[in-house]
This record gives sequence, structure tokens and C-alpha cells, in this order.
Amino acid sequence: MIQITGLTKTYGRGAKAAPALRGIDLQIGSGMFGLLGPNGAGKTTLMRILAGIVNPSRGALRVAGHDLTTDAGKRAVKSVLGYLPQELGMYLELTAAQFVDYMAILKGLDEPRERKRRVAAVLEMVALQESADRKIKGFSGGMKRRVGIAQALVNDPRLLIVDEPTAGLDPEERIRFRNLLVNLAVDRTVILSTHIVEDIGQTCRDIAVLAQGRILFRGSPAEMTEAAGGHVWNVTSARLEQPEQGLTVTSMLHLTDGIQYRLVGPRPEAFPHAEAARPSLEDGYVWLMKSALQ
Amino acid sequence: MKSAAWKYSWLTYRRDALWFPPALWGLFVMIVLIMRHPAVRFNLARGYLGFIVPLISGIMAAYAVLDDPALELRFATPVRAGQTLLARLGLVMAVQAACAFSFQLFLLALKVDLSPLGGLLGVQLAWFLPTLSLIALGTAGSLAGAQTTMGAFLVGAVWLVQVMMKSWLEANAKYLHLFLGALVPGDPDLALNQCVLLLGSMALLFFSWALLHRQERFI
Repeated sequence: MIQITGLTKTYGRGAKAAPALRGIDLQIGSGMFGLLGPNGAGKTTLMRILAGIVNPSRGALRVAGHDLTTDAGKRAVKSVLGYLPQELGMYLELTAAQFVDYMAILKGLDEPRERKRRVAAVLEMVALQESADRKIKGFSGGMKRRVGIAQALVNDPRLLIVDEPTAGLDPEERIRFRNLLVNLAVDRTVILSTHIVEDIGQTCRDIAVLAQGRILFRGSPAEMTEAAGGHVWNVTSARLEQPEQGLTVTSMLHLTDGIQYRLVGPRPEAFPHAEAARPSLEDGYVWLMKSALQ
Repeated sequence: MKSAAWKYSWLTYRRDALWFPPALWGLFVMIVLIMRHPAVRFNLARGYLGFIVPLISGIMAAYAVLDDPALELRFATPVRAGQTLLARLGLVMAVQAACAFSFQLFLLALKVDLSPLGGLLGVQLAWFLPTLSLIALGTAGSLAGAQTTMGAFLVGAVWLVQVMMKSWLEANAKYLHLFLGALVPGDPDLALNQCVLLLGSMALLFFSWALLHRQERFI
């Protein structure tokens, strides 16, 4: 579905040049694909390039056979694209149904009856059929996100790009949203970009980790978890101590007999009773980022 | 464009900006009603049609494209740059045209003579061409600077300079004079001036269209 070769993006020129992507090579097939990385890693830039909004500085990029570096290719990709940006701007004075209807028109759904049917279907898909005729300005953050996903789906896209979709959602909304994305990925490519490790672990079988504009890891969540094997430790200390250099505290639990730290890194020499722990996906991510920065 | 698309262009346009043209229209209607001298009424009519309508149009145009909360979503659709310009600027022009025509009907009802501006076509060109020019300038300015205030500032500055230097422009650069049709409708070079304004507007709109292809500058 998506082939990316040597993709580079630099903002600005000369002394002010800021590289956002540095030679990305990636192939993404159908199903759910997770793109993980810290803030400023280049995820949003990559998503915007895939959506045909930002032009790459160098490299080749094909989506469903269309060359995204040409205007014709961009238009072809946009006609099969559903996009939910990180910062979702909406027309708050419109109702949910009107907003989705307008986006459907912009996406080229010209036949009014078919468009009306699609708008009703996607609003039902995101459980907003009861609120279809309410103005968006009265919606909660979660409801706005659901309107956002409804507009992304209204043209029945082959490629769905969602950038940080669960930011600001409460736990229940997040779970609902993740489940919705998994269901949608059955018959299309869904790219989920996030810095929330849990969202990726619950939804994706295929992931990539992006940091400082480079792909650090490509594989499955299980493989990333395994990479931290032998580098995760549980330590209980009576005193509140700073962990040694080279160790990252991933959690702290206050117990009656002290504080239990979960550490990622080499065996902590200051704690001879440190117990090796089974790594989680988050530990794998932390280990990966530590390894990359060293 | 389909009628549904026009409907949403209207519904998604900034409400507060849409109040401005009718508010000024109402103000000038009241002043014309108060002032009874025919020459004063004519000058007010010329001022509104030839100067105020173009200024407000240019400022509205500066905000029309980029002042859009769903700009990134719009950019992710296959809508062409030309369609976006048509939808947003067409609305500005439609609102101002409605104000200009209704104002002329009001003047007609009061028997205010607009013939010094020329025939029916001459009167329409006296407001339409400066309006189109400042719409094009406001759009190009905001897209070139990637910020709406840049376009609005440019429109305001050009309008002010043209008003303050109208005598100099008449003598030295009449082809570039935005208000020649309103101020000196009998000028022998008016037709050439109108051609220059039209072509200049087209060039600026083409420039805007080209700029709008570089979507990453605006998000």
C-alpha cells in the first residue's frame, strides 16, 4: 500500500534549516500500523506528507501506486484518504451532520442521496446518530474526536491516517476509540501515530518507532518488548534515592516498607537485591530510546 | 460549484466578518437620508461605492482563505486550489455586490443622480474594478506572508496611499490609480486604467492560486 524510500524533510534553509525527517525507508501494508515516538520525533510531519499536505524535500513516496511527489498523485491519494489531524479544527457553528456532509462534498461525494446515506452511516459508526443535529460547539472533546473520525471515514477511505487521536480523551473514550480503529483496519490501511505506548500495544501488530527523524525500530510490539529483556529491574528501597546514572525509572510505587522502583537499564550496582522483571511494551520503548541516545 | 458547497461556504464563513458590510451599508444609508443636498448625496454615494466597498472587500479577502479552523482538513481533501479561491473569494464578492446593488437601488429610490460616474456599466465598473483589485491584493498578500494580517495591512496601506496621493496618481500614474473611475470618470485613459486593474487583479489571483499549492506554508 505505502512505499517510502529515502524520505527526507527539512524545514527552512541555510543556517535556519531544521531537519524533521532524515532518510526514512518504510513499507506499510494493509491493517493497523502504529507509529510511535516522542514529541518532536517527526511523526506529524510524516503523517502530513502521507496526507499530501507537506512536500518531502527528498525521497520517493508511493501510496496505492500513486506518486505523492506529484500534484496528480496527491489528488489521487487524497481521494482515497481519511485524515484526522493532531489539532482538529472544526466549524463549531455547524451540526455534526452538516460538518460531515461538508467534508463529504469537499472529498467529491457529489450525489446528494448517496452522501446523505454515507453521513448517516458514519455518524452511526461513531455512535453520534443521536447528536447528529446538535451544533459541534456543545460537544465534549471525545465527541469532537468522534466527529473527526466520522469525517475521515465519510468517503470510505482505503487509507486512514490518525495523528494522536486519543490525546485529551478520558479512559473510556480512549478504549472506545481504539476499538473503533481496530474494526476499521479489517479492510483498509490505518496508520496510528501516537506517543502513547499503550494505544499502540492494544491495537497494532506492526509498528515503527521514530525519533529525531529516523526509524529506530520496525517490527511487532512483542519484538520491541523482548528487546528490553534483561534490562528491567524491580528494586525496593527504604529511602527515596535517585537511581544511578544510566537507569530510567519507569514507575514508583509507595509501599509500607519503602518505595518500589521499576528501572530500565543495566543491572543497578547500588541495589544488589534488584530483581529482574518481565519487560512490558513501555519498557521496550524506554530501552529502545535509551539505546538510541547512547 | 454545487449549491450545497456554496451553502457551506456561507455557513462556515466568519459570522462577525459578515456583519461588517451590511453595518457600513446601513451607516451610509442613514447618512444619505440625513444629508439632503444632491451634491453631498452624490459624493456619499461615490465614497461608499468607489472607496468603502473596495476597502472592506480587500480586508475580508485577506482573511477569507487562511482564517479557516478546518484548513488542515480541507488541505487533505482533493479540492483544487482554484475551487478554494472561488468558494472563499466568491462569497466576499457576492456579499459586496449585494451591498453595492442594493445601495444603488436605494439611491435610485431617492433620485440621486449617478450619471456623473458614467452610464450603468461605468457606475458598476467604478466599484467593481477597485473591489476586485483589493480582493486580489488582500488574498495574495495574506498567502505570500502566510498570515492574514499581512494581507489586511497591505490592503489598508495601498488604499490609504491611493487616497492620499490621488492627485499625483492622476497626473503621473493614472493606469495604476484604483479610484480613477470614481474620481475622474471622464478621463480619456479610463479604459486603459480599467484594463490594467483587471489584468493586475488576474495576475495577483494567479499568484495566489500558485501559492495555495504550497499548503505546508499555511498549517
